[in-house]
Amino acid sequence: MAVAPPPPVYDPPAPLRPAPRGDTIRSWRWSQRLAFAACWAAGLALCAVTLAIVVYMGVRGVQYLNPKLLFSRPTPGLQQHTTGGILDPILGTVILTIIGIAIAVPLAVAAAVWVVEYGKPAPLARAVESGIEVVAGTPDIVIAIFGLAIFQLHLFAPLSFTASGGGVFGRSFIAAGAMMSLIALPLVFGAAREGLMSIPMHLREASWALGKTRICTIRTILLPQIRANVATGSALGMGRIVGDTAVVVVLLGATLQLEPQGDVPILGNLRGTGSTLTSYVYGASPAGEGNAPQKAYAAAFVLLLIVLTLNFVVDLLGRRKESLA
Amino acid sequence: MTRSHRLAAAVTTVGVLAVAAPAGASAASTITISGATGSAPLVALLAKKYVKLKPGKVKFKLAQGGGEVGIQDAAAGRVTIGNAARDPRPSDAAGLVFYPIAKDFFCFDTNPSNKLPNLTLAQAQAIWTGQVRNWEQVPGATATGTIDLIGRTAASSLPPLVQQLLLGNKTISPLAALKPSDGLVEQSVGSDKNAIGFNSGYYASQKDVHAVAFEGVACNLQNAKSGQYPGIRNYYEVTRGKATGAASAFINWIQHSPVARKIIASIAIPLN
Amino acid sequence: MIARLRQPWTDRQAAWRLGAVACLVLLIIVLMVAFVAARAWPVLQANGWIAWLGPGGSVDHQMGQMIATGQHPPAAAYHLRAWPLIYGTLLTTGVSVIVGLVFALFSAIFIVEFAPARVRAVVVPAVRLLAAVPSVIYGLIGILVLAPFVGNHLISPGRKDSVQNVVQIDGTGVLVAIVVLTVMITPIMIAIVVDALRAIPRAWTEGAAALGANRWEVLWTVSVRAARPAIVAAAVLACARALGEAVALSMVSGSRGFSPNPVDGITYLFEPIRPLAASMVENVDAINAPAVKASIYAFALLLLLSSLALSIGGYVAKLPMRRQGLRI
Repeated sequence: MAVAPPPPVYDPPAPLRPAPRGDTIRSWRWSQRLAFAACWAAGLALCAVTLAIVVYMGVRGVQYLNPKLLFSRPTPGLQQHTTGGILDPILGTVILTIIGIAIAVPLAVAAAVWVVEYGKPAPLARAVESGIEVVAGTPDIVIAIFGLAIFQLHLFAPLSFTASGGGVFGRSFIAAGAMMSLIALPLVFGAAREGLMSIPMHLREASWALGKTRICTIRTILLPQIRANVATGSALGMGRIVGDTAVVVVLLGATLQLEPQGDVPILGNLRGTGSTLTSYVYGASPAGEGNAPQKAYAAAFVLLLIVLTLNFVVDLLGRRKESLA
Repeated sequence: MTRSHRLAAAVTTVGVLAVAAPAGASAASTITISGATGSAPLVALLAKKYVKLKPGKVKFKLAQGGGEVGIQDAAAGRVTIGNAARDPRPSDAAGLVFYPIAKDFFCFDTNPSNKLPNLTLAQAQAIWTGQVRNWEQVPGATATGTIDLIGRTAASSLPPLVQQLLLGNKTISPLAALKPSDGLVEQSVGSDKNAIGFNSGYYASQKDVHAVAFEGVACNLQNAKSGQYPGIRNYYEVTRGKATGAASAFINWIQHSPVARKIIASIAIPLN
Repeated sequence: MIARLRQPWTDRQAAWRLGAVACLVLLIIVLMVAFVAARAWPVLQANGWIAWLGPGGSVDHQMGQMIATGQHPPAAAYHLRAWPLIYGTLLTTGVSVIVGLVFALFSAIFIVEFAPARVRAVVVPAVRLLAAVPSVIYGLIGILVLAPFVGNHLISPGRKDSVQNVVQIDGTGVLVAIVVLTVMITPIMIAIVVDALRAIPRAWTEGAAALGANRWEVLWTVSVRAARPAIVAAAVLACARALGEAVALSMVSGSRGFSPNPVDGITYLFEPIRPLAASMVENVDAINAPAVKASIYAFALLLLLSSLALSIGGYVAKLPMRRQGLRI
């Protein structure tokens, strides 16, 4: 069961089959030739769209991005040149990604281990698998709004803060990070599960025969084996977290700068509010309040670079796994 | 990083503006404010000054959202103070206390390329009810083609006031595109040469829009102060129950301190 | 205490603990449905379970009225007829999935069958990249490049005048929303269809070729036909994604609870809409007004149930292929 929606991770393409002798395009019917042309057109259009987006964002990014922008803090302002840089959104993205993935990986790996290695009662295991598929298909805005309902409960007041009116604010890095972990979870789970299933049975049997328990086998034999899978899944998950906007808009409190809550250094930041690159782009676009399209382009370019890097990491991990196999 | 950097002046904000004391200030209480986009620039300036005067005592989180949203947020207890931009109504939640802080004016505004010299009441009514849909039919307009009406969503308190004070109780046409904030109206009007919108004084005074005179009276701070210009409303700070603690001190400071009065006078109209 | 924790787990403990973690997922789903449904309840109750999905009046006006109704609004304050938003969601999702599916099918065939190795080495990373680009970037390009282009070059002043008494059009709207959404979801479908086409056993295609079918006939009558369940599954998953896209569509859809009328001809393409998910993002500021909150959660419930149904649909759609022992 593929966990949906899967970001495309391809095996290397199968070697191209030579056309059977005597079967040339010339012998095809017109409709078939037309379809053949459509295939080429679709493929080339795909490349063209990608190229257009990357080149356009690249040009705009290079045009508007400068080191000063990267390392200065954003300030609210009416004119574009008074709105400062994008340091806080970058930090926000990093913090949020770390929180999200730190919650998602242990949960996902534990769930995958249980489903593959224990999986009893079987219907429950099936239900968990389907459940994760359902989570993967749930729109991020629904997850975000669900998070707001949860974190505005008085039970979770310590994770954000209580306004003097007695209501819980419900928006903080912890709240957003927890919901982000739901977005990354299916990807990490899928990768870990694939990894566990691809380990041949005899490895486990050998370990059991030596008198090791199942859990000991999992720890010492299986988990080290699936490290690359988990890394791949995590990178994919991080890509999704980095690129998600709805959760940030709803659950991060939308302050432009990182605003710690309380005086404890790190915990304060986690309970506090802030922005990420995605919410910054949204806010600085004509759809938001910022009206700073140049800054939006610059931030979007940085965002794209981060996503491309993660993509590249996934690629690299995939290739390494292959060369090991 | 120096404090002046951290406290950089705030006018319109992207999302929420936070005015914070320097890091390390202990036991600072946080005042969260949300509401009117019209009074947000004013409250931001006041908050900034207040933090400077009482270092380490208080922090602000200032969000916008619209005047009606501010009142609801305060009633729900989710913020310390709601910025309201209209007078209290009997239908407002029980227990809300409105503290008046200033008056402000609001203008019709057009794109600077279409410097409409004046609108009479009848003309304004015709345009905003959707009877007149082309700039050719508006005397003094240099734009051509369809009039783009830019209004505010119901989160704002401004549309009812515009209808009451500038449109003779005529209702704004449902054709109008509705924007969630004063800043976005200003932006839309500033980028569309066929647009007409309405904005609170601070935004209508910006260079990228042209404030239109009403019934021969120019829409500016001076005419509003003198009382000649009719489009004037009150700004309030709203709390659930009587304001207490830091919020009470802040509101008291706004209402009575000469420093606050000077700030108010710079972009709006002080009370009395 | 710590020493006890550090003791190696027994198998039974491990099964228990890991099982509990795994079941957390189920708990979250149950909680999600329960919370969202509970918060949406006032709207369902005040309007009737089905009636609020229907047309009637201006949805923007209704949602606007909800803001200033106090903390304990009467049932009348919850009045909502969300059809324009649902229409916007169905329109953007439906058209972009259909267009995207055709495109994805041809692209996948190209990648698997026809692309020379060198071209394939370009196309495959391109697809992966398109799938990874954050939606807000698509939205940004939509609002800063496509919408102004449409507004300035495709919408003539005459066209604007022709609907001036119905709606104001400015470039953002049906067309740009569909284009942006199509580009966003096509890569997802391509990935699934490619996987399915590659899973077709070689023996099947060779068998067909041996019977005298040419390459296209083999492809169309054997591979694509066998992969049909996967194609359906791809469409279903893309649907789920498109339904829930909030931010990019909020940027480019025109943000107006308006139901474009097909009678307007080409102008239809330029008229503004606002899908459900975008409505949620745009109204989240006013969430402390109880009636607005209930409406937002009602939209969330609708999306949640739809995506649940689609998840199940996607699973069922792929069953036939699995039964034949193909792993996709």
